[in-house]
Amino acid sequence: MIWLWIALAPVLGGFVYGGERVMRARMQRRQGPPFLQPFYDMFKLLDKRTLIVHSPHALLAVAHFAVLWFSIGAIFLGWNLLYIIFLHLFAQMLLILAGYSVRSVYSHVGANRELLMLVAYEPVLILVAVGLYLVSGSFEISEIMQQSGYLPKLLPLFAALAMIVPIKVKKSPFDIGEAHQEIVGGVEIEYSGVFYEFLYMSRFLEYIFIYSFVFIFGGASLWLGGILVAGMFLLVNLVDNATARVRSVHMVKIIYWVAITLAVINIVGVLL
Amino acid sequence: MKFFTPFRKKSPWVLHYNAGSCNGCDIEILAALSPKYDLERFGVINTGNPKQSDIFLVTGPVTYRSRERLVELYSQIPEPKVVVAVGSCTTTGGVFRGMYNVEDGIDRYIPVDVYVPGCASSPQLIIDALVKAGDILESKSKEIEKPFKLFGTLETIGNKLSRFNMAQKVKHD
Repeated sequence: MIWLWIALAPVLGGFVYGGERVMRARMQRRQGPPFLQPFYDMFKLLDKRTLIVHSPHALLAVAHFAVLWFSIGAIFLGWNLLYIIFLHLFAQMLLILAGYSVRSVYSHVGANRELLMLVAYEPVLILVAVGLYLVSGSFEISEIMQQSGYLPKLLPLFAALAMIVPIKVKKSPFDIGEAHQEIVGGVEIEYSGVFYEFLYMSRFLEYIFIYSFVFIFGGASLWLGGILVAGMFLLVNLVDNATARVRSVHMVKIIYWVAITLAVINIVGVLL
Repeated sequence: MKFFTPFRKKSPWVLHYNAGSCNGCDIEILAALSPKYDLERFGVINTGNPKQSDIFLVTGPVTYRSRERLVELYSQIPEPKVVVAVGSCTTTGGVFRGMYNVEDGIDRYIPVDVYVPGCASSPQLIIDALVKAGDILESKSKEIEKPFKLFGTLETIGNKLSRFNMAQKVKHD
């Protein structure tokens, strides 16, 4: 059963993305695309002629997708939280390498920004893992999920996690990684056709990845986890519709000053 | 693949290029993309990246400065692709027809599939044009389409580069 969920993870993420596009359209009082729009896009991309810059560049996109999928599988199987975070880091490094491997200036800018995003959210993710460890006594997700009562003890840490969710799913105010038309998609710029599709699907997997971190805070009660994920989903989209993009330097500063401070205070509080 | 062909129409991604337009048509295109007219309900996304787009939305009479970029952007879009000329200037040259610094319309340089009249053309017309372009996109094959004319260094080395050699080497389905 769990293997079926792992196999269907990109499809699940596609539903989340499609639902999000419809919901954002409703927030702006318009009709919006069909719910299955991400799948239409994927099928269309399969039918496009593919232009490849060089083969390692194309391969890195596939590898990024595969490693990300593997880390999602590790989450579903309840493996070690730190292991999962570093697997995800590895996937991001592949993407950044892909960005640097072509001569496009926008690709380099995008890769620089991906690195900045990594620098910003990675400490917070690790602090989240440490906080969950301090409360539950284990880094294993399967053991973390058997206990509950994380939210009252780790409320500032949850707020810190809420601040990095927009970075991961590329939403305003922290959507510097793709930045719509400003840097023309960043590292995605030189991809087309089938290989762009891998990046498009890896975006779905990013949704699953970061929202499963939110879900873990629910602990043993799946209802609480579901409510947390739904609330976070709504909050992130509301903020996305209401704010403009901040500069990349400011993003790192905001995350370091606010989110990491919150996380450290919380962890120190739990330790004392 | 036959199975995937109907989905072209359902997600036409747009590349918008201003070939020396007065911004009238650009504003109308942005109005068509914005919440009131909501082009996204047809699955349209304004990508801004030629390598991932299907529909080339051009405004403006082609000025001498912009024609190289026009041709280059056109040849960077992977097939199947459709060109939509928005506004009188883009279709015929409009009020700028015959002037010393413009070409009269983009169809001297690239094959155009849909012409949209109007100065500036209204969002309703642009929506109609994009729906029509979706139909054309569905009927096209993946055969390589070339611009009519190339420029300068692009012309001389272009024939030796992969993109143009590909036309002879690659088999189409």
